[in-house]
Parts: sequence; structure tokens; C-alpha cells
Amino acid sequence: MSGKTLVITSGKGGVGKTTATANIGTALARRAHRVVVVDTDIGLRNLDVVMGLESRIDYDLIDVIEERCYAEDALVQDARAGELYLMAAAQTRDKDCISPQQLSNLCRRLEMDFDYVILDCPAGIEHGFRNAVAAAREALVVTTPESSAMRDADRVIGLLQKGEVRQTRVIINRIKPELVRQGGMLDSAEVLDTLGVDAIGLVPADDLVITSSNQGRPVAHNAASPSGREFTRIAARLDGEPIPLLEPIEERNESVSIMDKVRQLMGRGRAVGAGV
Amino acid sequence: MSTNRQNGGAPGADASANAGAGAVKVSGRGALVNLEIDDSVPLETACRELRAHLGRFRELYARGEVALNVGRRMLAEEQKARLGKVVESESGLSVRQFWCDPDILEAERERIGAMLAAQARLVRQLQGGGEPADDAGAASESESVDDDGNDAVAPASDDAAGAGAECAGPPPALVRDTCRSGEVRRFPGSVVILGNVNPGAQVIAGGDIMVFGALRGLAHAGADGDADASIVAMSAVKPELRIAGYCWDAGAADAGDAALVSGETRRGDRDAIIAAVAGAAVQVAPYLKNFGISRGGSPNER
Repeated sequence: MSGKTLVITSGKGGVGKTTATANIGTALARRAHRVVVVDTDIGLRNLDVVMGLESRIDYDLIDVIEERCYAEDALVQDARAGELYLMAAAQTRDKDCISPQQLSNLCRRLEMDFDYVILDCPAGIEHGFRNAVAAAREALVVTTPESSAMRDADRVIGLLQKGEVRQTRVIINRIKPELVRQGGMLDSAEVLDTLGVDAIGLVPADDLVITSSNQGRPVAHNAASPSGREFTRIAARLDGEPIPLLEPIEERNESVSIMDKVRQLMGRGRAVGAGV
Repeated sequence: MSTNRQNGGAPGADASANAGAGAVKVSGRGALVNLEIDDSVPLETACRELRAHLGRFRELYARGEVALNVGRRMLAEEQKARLGKVVESESGLSVRQFWCDPDILEAERERIGAMLAAQARLVRQLQGGGEPADDAGAASESESVDDDGNDAVAPASDDAAGAGAECAGPPPALVRDTCRSGEVRRFPGSVVILGNVNPGAQVIAGGDIMVFGALRGLAHAGADGDADASIVAMSAVKPELRIAGYCWDAGAADAGDAALVSGETRRGDRDAIIAAVAGAAVQVAPYLKNFGISRGGSPNER
């Protein structure tokens, strides 16, 4: 078996790299793949928290690199998603204690055992970023529809295109359809036009992401979550399924509205606010 | 001399109408009534004030002809037509003339002259430049700032001698990809960029810069001091424009350039622009869209 290594990166911090990693990993595992997610944010680890596995970590990435344990010893299984494993970052060290070559070697080894190796990249474009991208053959760049995040994403795409990464795709995160309609937020077409690369997912803003991060249960498990559903679609697209990109629409009313509008016109409208 | 107050203004007048209170003044000029329209308020406000003013003195303006004095405001034909329509719909008057400050005409003439000269130079250069030097490898040749803290200079093209007789200097370079944030690309002569120039990217050329995509970053033409250089972009959103030692002052750009400054347009409704130095400043005008006529609406007889 030979899997592939993806890096999830963004340049700017706080746009949802870790959330995307946890959810895409979960969604791929739910599609019956063997998946390992690796937190490369050494010194600022939090992928374990988002996945709710923080109390189960015995060994971390640095222990594996420095050969204090086997790679298998550092893998924590998240059985809720099937064959999903986490390799946590060390919290007490910093990014300089590994080299791009060491991380690449580890990923080549993990690829023999897993279908997908997903690297959660630290923010910035320094040592930690260079470690993570050197090991990956494919990159997913997370951005939000804001000029500041886009400028950093653009920078990162430029760096990726000069490096070894063969394919770069964009995830636009935290889209607020209502704000887009009012002209207060860039629409996805505009974002993609500027960045000049293909998108693999358009993820709507979703409060459930915050709740589930705190609970340590990725939203990809939750079919009621609009962002969770999009992460599931991203996983399918990574598998090569031709699922079209959908611009997020405004909540609920929109998706049931045509029949509702007809009913309302006929004077048999549902009560306002009735959900799906 | 009569002024209009907000309480006599049009319904729906909001806070901004305050700023425009008194935007219309009346004076006589021979047999002609002269309406002076304050040039310091937005045209929107001026129209509203004018409508309110005419409505208030409707019986006075039952018939006759007026001249509109628009001060230092430079009006496009459609803007003049709009003011004319306000007058004719709100009163029995007809507009005989538009007047403006003679200084502004001179400045506008200079500006249009500079734009036309820049445009002509660009066309001459592109036609006479022979085969452009392909600069597809610029991404690797020109280095990002933080890679080594130094800006690399792209090597001058070998076939500089093959340039057309009409234009001096190296032939235009051709960039096929998009210039991304953090990249600094330098060219000894002119450059044609087929992709976009994204926010945070810098394109610095000794000659002219032509962007076939969208210009959202910094473009510095005539970087070695050639103030005749120009910048053309098929669309531009919040660009930084520099030519020789001059900068474009986005803050001083007129309301017509609002979209350029704020970036608040939707895709598809942005227009090509040209920037050139006129009157010791970088000025921007629409490119190849009869800007000589539509921008320089000369306030003469209608």
C-alpha cells in the first residue's frame, strides 16, 4: 500500500487549519480509509485537543524522530472514525528540533501503512512551514474570504509552486452567505480569481465548529452541521469523486423555500422560523 | 443670494445633506440666471440640493434659461446630462451653458495630453519592439524579499539590440504567470504581465508596465527616473501606482475612481486604466475608452 501525504497550510494563523485537518482526516476515515493526521506545530500543539485525544498521548512526533519509540507507539487511534490515527506534536520543544528531511522520511514510512498522511502545518512561512511542505506532495491552502488571509494564502501558494508540491488547492473557510450577498464579504469566485488556483471546498461559517472543538468531536461526524457536510464532500473530492463545488447558501429557509413560497402565496404558509 | 436649508430639502434627506446645505447659489450673469453648484460636495448631494432648491422656488423658475457654474468640478457628459435633467424636470428652465473654473480646464487638458502621450508611446513600443523577451522563468529568477533579504534583478535580455528602431532600451519582457504576494519582480525595460499582480506583490520596471490581468498590488514604472512611463491594467483594484519619483494618491482620487480605491465593485464591472504623470502627480484615467471626451467633459455650450 502506498498512500499520499497532504499538507494543510495557510500562512495566516486562526483561519481553520487545525479544524480542517481534524475534519478532513475524520471524513476520510469515515470513507473507510486508513488515515494518520500529524500535528507539525511543535511547541503549540492543539490538533489533539480539537480531536478530543489529548489525554491519551504517550509519545509524540519528536520522540519518533529522535528514535525514543517506534512510529506505531506514537499513534493514537480515534476509533469513532474507524482507522483514524493521530501523531501529536511535542509541546515542550520547538520547530528547530526537526529537519525537513527527517519529516519527509517519516512521511515516506507512514505512506507505506496509510492511505492518507495529513500534516497540520503551523502558521507562518518559517522553519515549521518548510518542514511540513517538504514532506508533502499535495497541499490544501485554507483561507477565509478576507483580504488579510488571502494575501498570506497567496504568498504561501507562491512558495508552494516554487517547491516540491505538485498540486495546490484552496479551501475557503468561514463563508457567510448573507454577508456575501450584502457585499460585505468577498464571494468565492473573487477569492479564487485572485489566488488563481482551484478550490476543493467552500466551507460555510458554522458555530457548531466551536462547540465541537471544545467537545473534542470533529463536526464531520455531525450530519446536521453544514460545515461538517462540506468537509465530508472535500474528503470525497480528494478521493476523486466529481462532486461539484457549491457556494454556501443562506441557512435553512433557502433550501426549502421554493415550495414554502408557493404555499405562502396560497395562504398556507408555514410558521416563520419553522426549521427543516 | 438665496440658500437652501435642510428643512426645506428633499424628503429622505439624511445627515449627508447637511454637508450640502447651501450647495446651490444664485447669481446673475447678464440676462442669464447663473446657478452656482458647490464643487466640494459629492455630485449626489449637489443633485439633491439642486432639486430641493428648484422645488422651493418653483414659481420663480417657471421659464427661461440658466447657466450652471460647476466650479472646479470636472464633469463627464453623462454627469452634465444628469444635472440638466434635474433642472428640466424640477423647473421650467432650460440649461443653456455649463461654466467651470478655467484653471481646471488647463489641468484637465494637461492630464489628457499626458494620458494620450503615454498611450501613444505604449502602442509605439509594443508595435516596434519586435519579439518580446519571454520571461516565463521570472518566478525563479527574481527572488522573494525574505528569501535572502535582497531583491534580485532579472538579467537584461540578450536580444536588446534587436529592439525596434522606434523605442530605446530593452524590448518588453513577457510574464506569463501571476505575481503573488511577497514577490518582487524587476525588469530593466518595459514588461507585459499576462497574469494578475496580487496584493503584496511588487512589479518594478525601468519602462512601462502592462497588466492583462487584475492589478491589485504595487506597480512602479519608470523606476530609473523615466517620468514619461505609464502603467496600464485591464482592471485595477486598490493598486499602488508609482511612476519615476511620483506616487498615486488614492486619497485624492475623484469619486469616479471610487471603485478603484475601495475595491467595492463586483467582478466584471471594472475597467481598464492607464496611469501617467501629469501636473507633478500620478493620475489615472480609463484606458482606450474615449477618456479624452468622457473624462474631460468641457463645460461649454450644451
